[in-house]
Amino acid sequence: MSRPRPRLPIPKIDPDRPPPGPFQPGFWRSPLRSPRLTAILGLVLLVGLPVVAITGLLSNDAYQPGLGGNALGRDTGGPLDFYLFGWPSSPSWLYAFTQGLHVTLGLALFPVVLAKLWSVIPKLFEWPPVRSPAHALERATLALLVGGALFEFVTGILNIQYWYAFKFSFTQAHYYGAWVFIGALIAHVTIKLGTLRRSLTTREDVIAAAGEHGSLISPNPARATMSRRALLTGVGGASAILFLQGVGQSVGGPLRGLAFLLPRGRTKTGPLGFQVNKTWASNGLPVSVVSDSWRLTVTGRTTVRLTREQLMAMPHCTHSLPIACVEGWSTTQHWTGVPVTELAKLVGITGPATLTSVSVEKSNYGSATLGHEQVSNGRTILAYAVNGRPLPLDHGYPARVIGPAIPGVHCTKWVSEMHFTELST
Amino acid sequence: MKLLRQRYGGGPGQLLATIACFAIAGAAVVGWSQRHKDFEAVLIWFAAAIVLHDLVLLPLYSLLDRVTVARLPAQAAAYVRVPALICGLVLLAVFPTVLGFGAHTAQHASGVTEHGYLARWLALTGVVFLISGLAYVISGRRSESASVAE
Repeated sequence: MSRPRPRLPIPKIDPDRPPPGPFQPGFWRSPLRSPRLTAILGLVLLVGLPVVAITGLLSNDAYQPGLGGNALGRDTGGPLDFYLFGWPSSPSWLYAFTQGLHVTLGLALFPVVLAKLWSVIPKLFEWPPVRSPAHALERATLALLVGGALFEFVTGILNIQYWYAFKFSFTQAHYYGAWVFIGALIAHVTIKLGTLRRSLTTREDVIAAAGEHGSLISPNPARATMSRRALLTGVGGASAILFLQGVGQSVGGPLRGLAFLLPRGRTKTGPLGFQVNKTWASNGLPVSVVSDSWRLTVTGRTTVRLTREQLMAMPHCTHSLPIACVEGWSTTQHWTGVPVTELAKLVGITGPATLTSVSVEKSNYGSATLGHEQVSNGRTILAYAVNGRPLPLDHGYPARVIGPAIPGVHCTKWVSEMHFTELST
Repeated sequence: MKLLRQRYGGGPGQLLATIACFAIAGAAVVGWSQRHKDFEAVLIWFAAAIVLHDLVLLPLYSLLDRVTVARLPAQAAAYVRVPALICGLVLLAVFPTVLGFGAHTAQHASGVTEHGYLARWLALTGVVFLISGLAYVISGRRSESASVAE
């Protein structure tokens, strides 16, 4: 006779008996949580997040990763690397605007995202954890949504503050992370749009009485010590302060002081009183490489070498153009230099062409390729002076590229080579 | 269709939306994994973001809130919680600058050293709490005069 084997106690999931702790509906006691609060926060995000997402995708477009080495080693042949259009070169403040909007709105929505996550936290512990295959799949998309949102906001917010705590390429991680977030957001909106509408139009006592699955209203609420309006005031107040931080560093001028909690709101600035993106000292090169021995090599159908004096003797012009950084700050100055179309003519190129400008400094963005839209625009210049003064070393002496709607790091500084490549027609 | 609802538990729209979401995420993984070393770090950050927010940050600030509220007179609680919420959320967004974590790199990039961010945040916090305190005093007077009027 064999004795019955002792059975291992397998914890049984009883859908009607949640384990103690956060799985108990009564554990969450804030009287402020409700479908309406979540819907209000959701509605703000529904309007704001698409703007952040689209301006972010536009920034990727503005970098034109399909040209030259602009992708910084990223393979742009993947399914998520599609580019609907080249990047326009007008108006000149286009990139300053789209990227300023991306960063400013991103900062302002950060508190709203956190409040939204707080408002739905009981759902993380809903019981039973899985009701059906559909429910399981939806919860998986929510993991992608929450992870994607936090990943995008955190990497973006750290990046604009120069804290590279992460060991991955920011552009690559932030770009593909954005797609995870966008995909999950679309799914979430598709699934929840009805709930959003219902939560905004149905009276709360009706929703509570219906006792819908995972209703966010606490069954034993704590005594209220603040109103829902007070909560929204707090979240909105933080949003407003962060919004002004973004506005300050993006609009600049007299408003720059508003960004008093960000690196680019600084009251002290670089030489000639405006912001420097990358200092000469940071590249560690001796000054001799840009002193008298400096020559500019221009290639196209022919090759020409110019001294700084020869460059300055060419037809020149002065334009008011922004340095517009991906970090969301910008500063507009008066730049004087030779239109790149003149340099193109010098080497026998008159048709549409791309331009790769190479710096004496060889790090990331030590070279950049501009599309034909920028190259053919007469306001894209190789500048040798700014605000009527010779370029300071920190701003790219002896010569730098500057032009309309070009992302800051593509305005190559300390340029030593310019290569024009004709577009095959 | 009825079978789908019975067996799957959702409608065709829900199914399509979730499948599209996973397809896009899969494509993003292809993009991320171009750099193998990066990929691991990205996944760690992605997962850590969820865990740290949902299971560390949120319980921590909830606890802090509960402990604070318990020590405050009920009518004053909102006037502490709201300014604390504002300044806490702002700090959460700009702490790398306020605590100087990015200062070295920022100095390298811009050529300028700027201090005093912590003092600025503290000043902001002071102002926000002051405004809240004024609102508390005013609301107290109002309810006083209201009860006098009764």
